[in-house]
Amino acid sequence: MNSPFDLRRIASIARKEVHHILRDPFTLAMGLGLPLILVLFFGYVMQLDPREIRIMVADRDQTRASRQLIEAFSASGFFRVAPTPPGAGLISLLDAERAKAVVVIEGEFGRKVRSGAEARVQVLVDGADNSSAGTLVGYLAGIQQYANHILADTPAAPPGRLATRFLYNPELNSRWFVVPGLFVVVTAILAVMLTALTVAREWETGSMELLLSTPVRPAEIVVGKLTPYLVLVIAAVVLVYAVARVILGIPFRSSHVLFAVSCILFVVPLLAQGLLISSTVRAQAIAIQVGLISSLLPAMLLSGFIFPIESMPAFFNWLSAVMPARWFMQICRGIFLKNAGLGELAVPMTALLIIGFVLVNVTVRRFKVDLEP
Amino acid sequence: MNLRRRLHLPRFNPVILGFIRKELSQAFRDRRMAALLFVAPVVQMALFGYALRTDLKNIRLAVVAAPGDRIATRIADRAYASGYFLPASVSRADPYEDLAAGRADAVLIAPPRGFTRAVSRGSGSAQLLIDATNAVRARVVEGYITGIAAGVLVEDAGTAPPLGPVRFDIRVLYNPTLESSIFMIPALAVLVLSLMVILTAMGIAREKELGTMEMLLSAPVSRWEILAGKTIPYVLMAFVNTPIVLTTGILWFEVPVRGAVWMVALSAVVFAIATSSIGTMISSLARNQQQAMIGGFLFMLPGMMLSGVFFPLENMPPAVYWITYLNPLRYFVTLLRNIILKGGSPDVVWPNLAAMAALAVCAAFFAVKRFRQTLN
Repeated sequence: MNSPFDLRRIASIARKEVHHILRDPFTLAMGLGLPLILVLFFGYVMQLDPREIRIMVADRDQTRASRQLIEAFSASGFFRVAPTPPGAGLISLLDAERAKAVVVIEGEFGRKVRSGAEARVQVLVDGADNSSAGTLVGYLAGIQQYANHILADTPAAPPGRLATRFLYNPELNSRWFVVPGLFVVVTAILAVMLTALTVAREWETGSMELLLSTPVRPAEIVVGKLTPYLVLVIAAVVLVYAVARVILGIPFRSSHVLFAVSCILFVVPLLAQGLLISSTVRAQAIAIQVGLISSLLPAMLLSGFIFPIESMPAFFNWLSAVMPARWFMQICRGIFLKNAGLGELAVPMTALLIIGFVLVNVTVRRFKVDLEP
Repeated sequence: MNLRRRLHLPRFNPVILGFIRKELSQAFRDRRMAALLFVAPVVQMALFGYALRTDLKNIRLAVVAAPGDRIATRIADRAYASGYFLPASVSRADPYEDLAAGRADAVLIAPPRGFTRAVSRGSGSAQLLIDATNAVRARVVEGYITGIAAGVLVEDAGTAPPLGPVRFDIRVLYNPTLESSIFMIPALAVLVLSLMVILTAMGIAREKELGTMEMLLSAPVSRWEILAGKTIPYVLMAFVNTPIVLTTGILWFEVPVRGAVWMVALSAVVFAIATSSIGTMISSLARNQQQAMIGGFLFMLPGMMLSGVFFPLENMPPAVYWITYLNPLRYFVTLLRNIILKGGSPDVVWPNLAAMAALAVCAAFFAVKRFRQTLN
């Protein structure tokens, strides 16, 4: 009673929460199962490089030259080529999502190529799908050059060229790119959502009053309730790590100690965020909604997971800077792929530390104020 | 009332009507919930619309070349002028070090005796190092720089090189400038709206947790009425929300709408029914709100990832591609993109609508069946 912070009382609160979790194996299973399924799933699923783009060719020439051009498309490996169905309007094929592009070879193509006149080939590209349209247009330049090389014997490559080396992920393996990012998304969601519910539940069922009438102090309730979830989230991280390394073969190039420290630095502000939400709104349905809005979409969209932060307008660049997910994304990619050391990670780690410090302070203050009627 | 009788409309089930009234007033009793449901999606729409850009900007590019290297300098100038790249200063000693420290995203290194000299001798290659921790970005960066370099090399040769007779005449339809927001806004609307699934999922679970479900069951109300009464309010809310969210996105980001509004509305209704039914199904499986929430996630997160918004569906392995047929988000994304950007082709609209409706029916059927079992 007289000590402000009693480990025994914290332990009993924590024990009660552990019982809650254990009595309901569903939470435990999902707390660990959800990340596992996601990582396995996405480790296998994600193929970012658009291979085999569906294109259709209207060959109105039917000569050796036109067939060689079609061959150039299919031999590149980027396209799955099919002839246009007879009688179909060309644009309606794109409207109906039957193809990402339609290539039209005019009747005079072969003759023009033989005589060296300019033989135009119209390519209609479906611009409604940005991701594939951009890549497709990029591929077309190469195909055009290759087609000219085989049909008119122009040089295969210009005199100067760039030899590109992709560092840290030389084969642009999508899995290496997605899985370190999933760490961020999964951890953010689990930490915020699980804690957002726990205190809100106590309020909703009215057991919070009961807890408060006992000699346990507010700070002890907070620490006691959060510790089991901290352990659960860390367990999930370890599990995901094991799967990523052993099953998916993701490289890990930096230090494990740094990674562990960063994880803690990332999880603490998230737990505080969840707690802040649930002690403020006190109703589970609302806590969930606020938790979702403040964790899921920011972790996926504003963290640089897929859409790079540099491309956003300046304001959003700043906005993402106050979100822990952005910094942990940088840390995860740095640690897994880049062999980043303390020097490289100093900025993101400091940022996490500051965000965590502010959030924990706000939460504790808010929790205290809330309890005094 | 009289009008209804004259038109011989069936009388709407009063029990369900009562449920709807109760559920809606319960949801809106708390003003914060109303704000979350109707204001938050609009804010998210405006906010994330800026974040979802597939075109790149502000990539830090460093060029390591001697000052007199004409071609290398020109590539650098043109890259910085393009608006995609920012100059990054690197130590000449070790560009790898700079990439590792994150001081640059890409480094172009001229060969030791200059790129210009190498090209003039007929075979020169400059090295381009790209930080590929974001593999998607790396690919686009490579495309940009290679394009710029090719342009500079052609110009430097004085006369245009023998391009050959074959010339591709590329026309990009629907979105000629490949503006990201036009492509992304319909998809973002789907993401924002799908967040409501969790809410539906928690409805029945809350009754179970608070013990009021027993009371409901002891009342003279049939089970399917409980389920319908718990689902329809969320369908209504989603349906009211859709035009708000879509209109915000469309007006804010100036997305052209080429299709019929009734098609969008019809898709929105079917989507609302499908996701709410899935929410109810999860709800009937869960014992408390926490379980419902996690169940909702287990549906929603893969649902978002497999919707075609983030990753193209065509590239997924066949087994996973089959799973996406169970994903209502996938159909709604396809529908909205097709209707809004392409005017809605019947070959796309009807099959996708039918599939989404079938999903809704299956989920509703399963929810009723499962609800009976858990209660007996």
